[in-house]
Amino acid sequence: MEFLWTGLMQLGDPSVALAMVVGAILGVVVGAIPGAGAAVTISILLPTTFAMEPLTGMTLLLGVYCGSAYGSAIPAIMINTPGSPVAVLTALEARPFVLRGEARRAMSLAYSSSFVGGVLAVLALMLLTLPLAKVAKNFGSAEFAMLALAALVLVVIGHTGARVAAAAAMAFGLFLSTVGIETAFSTQRYTFGSPALLGGIPLVPMVIGLFAMSEALVQLTARGAPPAVVQLKGRFFDGFSEVFRYPRTLFGSSAFGILCGIMPGVGEFLAQQVNYVWARKLSPEGHLFGKGAPEGIIVSEATNNSVPPAALIPMLALGIPGEELTAMMLAVFLVHNVVPGPDLFLTRPEFVAGLYWTLLVMNFIIIGFLLLATGLIARAALINKRFLGVAILTLSLIGTYASNYNFTDVGIAMAFALLGFILRSHRWPLTPILLGLVMGPILEGRMRQALGGANGDLTIFVTRPISAIMVAALALLIVMTVRADWKARKEVTT
Amino acid sequence: MDDADPHAPQPASRLESLALTVIFTAASGGLLAAIEVATRSNARGGWWTQPWLMPGIALTILVAANLITLWRDVADLRRNPPLPAEWAAARAALLGWARPVEYLGWFAAYLWLIHHAGYGVATLGFVLFLIWRTGLWSVRWALAGVGLCAFMIAVFRMGLGVWMPAPDLYDIFPQAVRTVLIRWF
Repeated sequence: MEFLWTGLMQLGDPSVALAMVVGAILGVVVGAIPGAGAAVTISILLPTTFAMEPLTGMTLLLGVYCGSAYGSAIPAIMINTPGSPVAVLTALEARPFVLRGEARRAMSLAYSSSFVGGVLAVLALMLLTLPLAKVAKNFGSAEFAMLALAALVLVVIGHTGARVAAAAAMAFGLFLSTVGIETAFSTQRYTFGSPALLGGIPLVPMVIGLFAMSEALVQLTARGAPPAVVQLKGRFFDGFSEVFRYPRTLFGSSAFGILCGIMPGVGEFLAQQVNYVWARKLSPEGHLFGKGAPEGIIVSEATNNSVPPAALIPMLALGIPGEELTAMMLAVFLVHNVVPGPDLFLTRPEFVAGLYWTLLVMNFIIIGFLLLATGLIARAALINKRFLGVAILTLSLIGTYASNYNFTDVGIAMAFALLGFILRSHRWPLTPILLGLVMGPILEGRMRQALGGANGDLTIFVTRPISAIMVAALALLIVMTVRADWKARKEVTT
Repeated sequence: MDDADPHAPQPASRLESLALTVIFTAASGGLLAAIEVATRSNARGGWWTQPWLMPGIALTILVAANLITLWRDVADLRRNPPLPAEWAAARAALLGWARPVEYLGWFAAYLWLIHHAGYGVATLGFVLFLIWRTGLWSVRWALAGVGLCAFMIAVFRMGLGVWMPAPDLYDIFPQAVRTVLIRWF
């Protein structure tokens, strides 16, 4: 109780309160702009948060993260253009509502299910993180190595239909993490004598290049007329009570989203897609899914919004980021010498409890802002793509150059921007590159420690019970996935 | 995963994909072949401490994944040989890679200009130039560009105090003005 009270006191800090409001509003707005989104905004803001207190910086980024999950529903409903991949299902389900003149009902259904999903996920974060951290206290290097490996395997498996490309991207990220001076023997790896590479591939310029600048290049080279905005008709509060007519769908979707958020490498998109299929099978009104079913919007939005807070559970308790945005946030922790993991609850309890409360309050700020300003935010969704590209590219400089005042970093960002553009144009995934880069040092360090303690005996990973269970589960998952893929390809060719 | 981006550019042609896969396979194969030279060390520990281990694992997976993609691409092209129109589309797509390179070139010029004209002037020039270059030029968009610059200077330079190097241009001003310009613009 005292732990939570300490966190509540943090809300009185004006900088934290300001970061909460600014982050939440900014998140909603960028979430509503197709092509902007949380990844682009967080990557640009990342270096500016290094000068802030850890809680202030994290609050700002988390505001963007959570706010964008809400905001992406606005263009999905009002211009039938999903602001991000996770709003595709919302756009599909909301279209018939719009055609029936019930855009406002669809909007309020989306908002209320997002709110319930978001708040339940924060409560799960509050309840589950500490117990998980206590369990993780018993983990050794073998278990942490297996967790890191699980995150990498799951991120590849999660890319259904593009698993080979995802494996290549993950391996490329892993390789990038090894460039520079290796710590054990100070050996230079793949530096080719260049002093600029001795410190390794810097995370911030890589993230900005890959996620923000490449997006800017996509927008700058895009063509096409902007879509029209639909008029909001109907009562806003209809959906707020309506959502509780489907308690099984609402709470089930939130719980499923929380579970997927906790599992490293899964993410919102996969969670939402899987849950949508299940909900359609289980619902008595399953035949209405895809034709404007309220449950379809509830599934999409409740799942989507419950993942971000839940993704913080493994990061805070185990130090394992589950997906791209928490991987970016890990950089903020490390810059401030805040090391996530079981010990964080002993060393910085006020920070962890502060995060809990800011996330909870943020959901109320976001829903209040949405009720007041939905019409205005919808106009932001119509921003010209080329102008958006100009803005993102110009803003990218702040992150790439001003964080270190180093031209090499700019060169690295530009190289990754071009790579990101090419990969996007081939619909090859970017997220596994970032996870590979972030998880690489954790995996290598923990594997070395585990094998060092066992004098190189690989059975260390199967003789410790928790590690053995993880190995077995991963092996089973890989075999099942390869088998399913093989069967699917066979069916396509015959 | 989140990478199924609905705003991604048009899907690439099979030949363009093949060209890219060949480049990636050659690059990753080259890096794997260079592992002996690129990770040479005097490490005397067990096999698990060797510096080549992690890059070796990563590059082996990378080469294998690229070879599988290459094999699939070639098999697909053998089953359904490309028509002349597809060859033309692939050539156009490869030329299309020059567009982002051009914008990155302007971005490099923007950096150069910051060193010589200062953040405020360089940003204004860069934004207005890009607005013109992307075909948006009109009073409305020019004003939007000026607004964007004002926003960025207000937030990043004045608000967050992001430091920028003192440019040559500011040397022509009296010391007091120069100090103000360096601090705020």
